[in-house]
Amino acid sequence: MALIWWILGVVLLIAIIFMYYYNRFQVLLNRIDNSLSQIDVQLKRRADLIPNLIETVKGFVKHETSAIKAVTEARKALVSAKGVVDKVKADNKLESALKTIFAIAEGYPDLKANTNFLELQRELASTEDKVAYARQYYNDSILTYNNLSTTMPGAFFAKLYGKKEREYLKITEAEKKPVNVKF
Amino acid sequence: MERVDFRDQISNNKLRSYFLMAIIFVVFVLFGYVISFAFDPGFFFIIMIISIIFSLSYLLISYYNSDKIAVASVGAKLASREKHKQYYNLVEGLTIASGMPMPKLYVMESFQINAFASGRDPNNAVICVTTGALEKLEKRELEGVLSHELSHIANYDIRYMTIVTVMVGMIAIVSQIFLRSLWFRSGDSRNNGIFIVIGIIMAILAPIVVSLIQLSISRKREFAADASAVKFTRYPGGLVKALKKIQVGHFPEEKKVSKAVAPLFFSNPFKGWGSTHPPLEKRIEVLERM
Repeated sequence: MALIWWILGVVLLIAIIFMYYYNRFQVLLNRIDNSLSQIDVQLKRRADLIPNLIETVKGFVKHETSAIKAVTEARKALVSAKGVVDKVKADNKLESALKTIFAIAEGYPDLKANTNFLELQRELASTEDKVAYARQYYNDSILTYNNLSTTMPGAFFAKLYGKKEREYLKITEAEKKPVNVKF
Repeated sequence: MERVDFRDQISNNKLRSYFLMAIIFVVFVLFGYVISFAFDPGFFFIIMIISIIFSLSYLLISYYNSDKIAVASVGAKLASREKHKQYYNLVEGLTIASGMPMPKLYVMESFQINAFASGRDPNNAVICVTTGALEKLEKRELEGVLSHELSHIANYDIRYMTIVTVMVGMIAIVSQIFLRSLWFRSGDSRNNGIFIVIGIIMAILAPIVVSLIQLSISRKREFAADASAVKFTRYPGGLVKALKKIQVGHFPEEKKVSKAVAPLFFSNPFKGWGSTHPPLEKRIEVLERM
């Protein structure tokens, strides 16, 4: 009789371990997906701020059409980009186009002092920070997941459940640096 | 310095929190026991029941309202999103970086550069900064400070520290009540002298012991919170610069802050009062090595 209870206990324990690992993988994968959408949210916010900025700048700067056009183009590329890698790349392009605009604004004291302009500039900088943080968290989440699925005993369960290692979001260049617009 | 894994730190903090709550309860009941024998053993049961009910409700109320109590005790106000845009933006960025829920943000009037976090878990947490910090710190410096506070929340330091603070407050109250009540004792000479002596010794020693505990625990946590702050921002420079600004700044002592809540703060609000925090130089040194 006692033996039956022992066997039952062991079976239950094994079932719990199997369940634990299944849930753990699922939780970590959900976190990865969620952090990916967080990057999306922030990029979209950025794209939404641009038209406003363009309007404001246009009111003061009449002749710098090419710089303004570059920003508009970059925004278009960002909005239509598919997949997070392309989106982040498009965002980097937008970032450098914005730098030109902010450099041009240097020569226009009225624009520089315009509260709306300042506000937008600050918003853009803070969304850029958030994009960077969202990417950092995305990679952190992948690291946690990969650590679990490539080390024992997690690796055994990963194989069992067909969970594969995930790729980090790798985009080179001076991406970590926030925009430094000095006045 | 030994390295502590964050997950270990968190479960450690949770465990210790419950342990401390149990201790508070026992100490309280013990106090009731001694007091009842010191005065009149006939009231033993009544006093015990009262002390159990009182200590339980004290623990539960302060546990579930710790954030509100801490914020109210320093007279902080809810930060408005319009007025403190940068504050909100920085914390939002950090919650994204750490994957944590957004805490409630408060501001307190003070010339000092300081901040604290409180609450019982990340879903019920507050961060409060001084107006001095908002005015005197650059964006990256403020971010470093906020990140430090957010890591106190993430590591469950807030729960632990809050419970310790509660314990300090309670023991102080009870020992005061006991010592004062001795004046009004009726002068009959029953055989309870020994309990009076024990009671007096407990009433004098308990607050001292508890403050010592409070001092020793909060120092280690500051290093851990600095480390996880850098894990969120990946930029030790901001925090270092903020600490240096506090180091060189000569701010008047904070009168509104009760000493009981001092360990919750980013840097010690009092000069030369114990050391709830490791020296700034030491913290800067550790950060600069990262």
